[in-house]
Amino acid sequence: MEKVWELYEKGDWVVPFLIFSIYLFIGASFLLYVVIIWSRNKNISREKRRIEYSAAIEELMVAVVFEDMTFATIQKERSLDLFLNNAFFREVVMETILNLHKNYDGVYAQKLEQLYKDSGLINDSFKKLRNFRWEVKCKGITELAEFNINDAFENIIIFSKARKKTLKIVAINACIKLAGTKGIVHLTEHPDPIDDWTQLNIIGAFKKHDIGDTKGVELLLGSKNTTVITLGLKLIKELKLTQKVPYVAELVDRAPNSLIKYEAQNVLQTLTTV
Amino acid sequence: MDFLNNELMWFVDMYIVLILGYAILIMSSYLILAYLSTKELRSYLKKNSFVDYDVLLTSEFAPKLSLIAPAYNEGFTIEENVKSLLSLNYNNYQVIVVNDGSKDNSMEILIKTYDLVLTELDFHPQIETKKLKGIYTSRNAAFKKLIVADKENGGKADALNVGLNIAQNPYVVCIDVDCILDKDSLLKLAKPFLESHGKRIIATGGVVRIANQCIIKNGRLVEVNIPDGMIPRIQVLEYLRAFLLGRMAWGRLDGLLLISGAFGAFDKEIALLAGGYSTKTVGEDMELVVRMRRYMLENKLPYSVSYIPDPLCWTEAPEEFKIFKKQRSRWMRGTIETLSFHKNMFMNPKYKLLGMLSVPYWTLFEFLAPGIEFIGLLITVVFIILGLLNWHFFFLLLLFVYTFAVFFSVLALFSEERTFHKYPKQADFFKLLLAAFIEPLYFHPMAVYAALVGYKEKIKGTHGWGEMTRKGFTKKQ
Repeated sequence: MEKVWELYEKGDWVVPFLIFSIYLFIGASFLLYVVIIWSRNKNISREKRRIEYSAAIEELMVAVVFEDMTFATIQKERSLDLFLNNAFFREVVMETILNLHKNYDGVYAQKLEQLYKDSGLINDSFKKLRNFRWEVKCKGITELAEFNINDAFENIIIFSKARKKTLKIVAINACIKLAGTKGIVHLTEHPDPIDDWTQLNIIGAFKKHDIGDTKGVELLLGSKNTTVITLGLKLIKELKLTQKVPYVAELVDRAPNSLIKYEAQNVLQTLTTV
Repeated sequence: MDFLNNELMWFVDMYIVLILGYAILIMSSYLILAYLSTKELRSYLKKNSFVDYDVLLTSEFAPKLSLIAPAYNEGFTIEENVKSLLSLNYNNYQVIVVNDGSKDNSMEILIKTYDLVLTELDFHPQIETKKLKGIYTSRNAAFKKLIVADKENGGKADALNVGLNIAQNPYVVCIDVDCILDKDSLLKLAKPFLESHGKRIIATGGVVRIANQCIIKNGRLVEVNIPDGMIPRIQVLEYLRAFLLGRMAWGRLDGLLLISGAFGAFDKEIALLAGGYSTKTVGEDMELVVRMRRYMLENKLPYSVSYIPDPLCWTEAPEEFKIFKKQRSRWMRGTIETLSFHKNMFMNPKYKLLGMLSVPYWTLFEFLAPGIEFIGLLITVVFIILGLLNWHFFFLLLLFVYTFAVFFSVLALFSEERTFHKYPKQADFFKLLLAAFIEPLYFHPMAVYAALVGYKEKIKGTHGWGEMTRKGFTKKQ
């Protein structure tokens, strides 16, 4: 330290500083170059493995979905244990069945749900909920909701009160998918404003998952949080819930402010004319 | 004599300290911005992987947008460009093409292709513009989103102001008509307007990338390539650095001064209250952002400017030095004009981060940097003539700056690699890497020269854009 100070005092620091910086920049550039190459190679090898695994996964899917084989039988016959212990293989399986499940319904979807449970992938999803990283939690929530794991509802609804907005939206969407309006009624007590993007996602979830039973949506109109009331009005308007007209009319009479009153009148007009 | 020598040596020492100090300051600022950008990018990408943009597509509550595309002598490509604007993934939007007194057959092509007829549109212009010759809409229901305004020539800012006057929706998206937009660009640009937390989002900017030699099919980008020419190729690298390692950080700090004129969305009400685009500058895009921010700050209204790092807009970069020089000198004039219009913001605490950081940064590192470099070069030549130059030190300083420039470009490539990965071909990566080594010796002097031309033009009082000839994109058959 003393030497450095002496150099500074004498003004002799400039040349050593420049030389040090030049070496530093060259070293850092080289390091970045190596990391880029390594990253590219890693991606290539991952892609190769993905293609390799896809063949095995395809066979597994065909056997489970179309040949009515149970996962236990396949596991015995095709010695899948080695594969299933591999985290990347499990990741690819998860992605595949998740995508398939989005495109199938009825018996095929049920078979995929059974596979999700039997293969233990469900435990991976629950484990993700306990991860400290919010994005991993989001992944877990998405998976559990996609496979209609109703038992996860209580675990997921906790995250719908999270401070991280993305996690909150993902959790509310999952709750709506799993339990319809039960997934949002707790918002009546929500203390913070719900922004337009979150509201749009909630409405989108109702439409996407075709939630028929909308009992309880009217409760949102009774919230002290004006953004929750707005959400309720938007839901009623967008889903054309004419059966909620009396509640909207009631809101017009006791609206907490003129903006809500105007919005309620607007919804009322939309639903009563046509 | 000794006294004179001592004086000279003192001057030389001072010069070295100043040059080195400036270089260290600029490099440190770049590194800090790169660090902030990386953090912001990571956070954005994590969040974005769980975003379902379809909710915007299917909802009547999605923000209503008006796209404003000024066109001047674009007859060669206007038909296809407008078609691609009409087929974007979004529902609540209209397209306003403003024909800025084109001398070619742009208007005839538009009328014929889109079956346009003169219409009486009910609107109350809030900004004074050049005379409007007529407003056209289509008889064909398939083009009901399209409005074409035909006006006398008045420049890009004037054409955009006509668009602002006509726009029927609360948000306007200003674009260059010859840009290639990503199909989902409007979905991504609209989202921030819904996310305000007690702050009004007054503008959203998107990343612009270079499309030279990329393959375009039906107005959409289908294959990303690296240009063969060194000038556009280096600009690919330059844009990566600017957008991935610079503007993202300013977005995080909420100190963005510039939203590219090629692609940006604005809150129409605030844009109009701020007075619309200024026709007195060629940097109308930057000037409007500064004026809108200033309006919000002076009226003590909470606001924010958002920034989207996804590559949503692809544009053609100049391939020849002549065109490049015109573009960059214009950019410099725009910067000087904007900074001089708003000079009272400089180091003015009333304008918070904008006055204390953004404006001083632009003044010191964007406006003054080429001038400082040029003066440095002149003094070095004088030192050589007087035999005062310490060659050992000179080469070390040169190497110091050169290695940093290469390092920073490699950092930009690294950032691109770990985020959007738009250049997956190995050959393309090596082309860009090579460009990183060549740039400081070949491209940078050209950029500095073009900026100096900008200074000169400003002093001479040159106005206007100058002709910008483009080669056009490679089309896939």
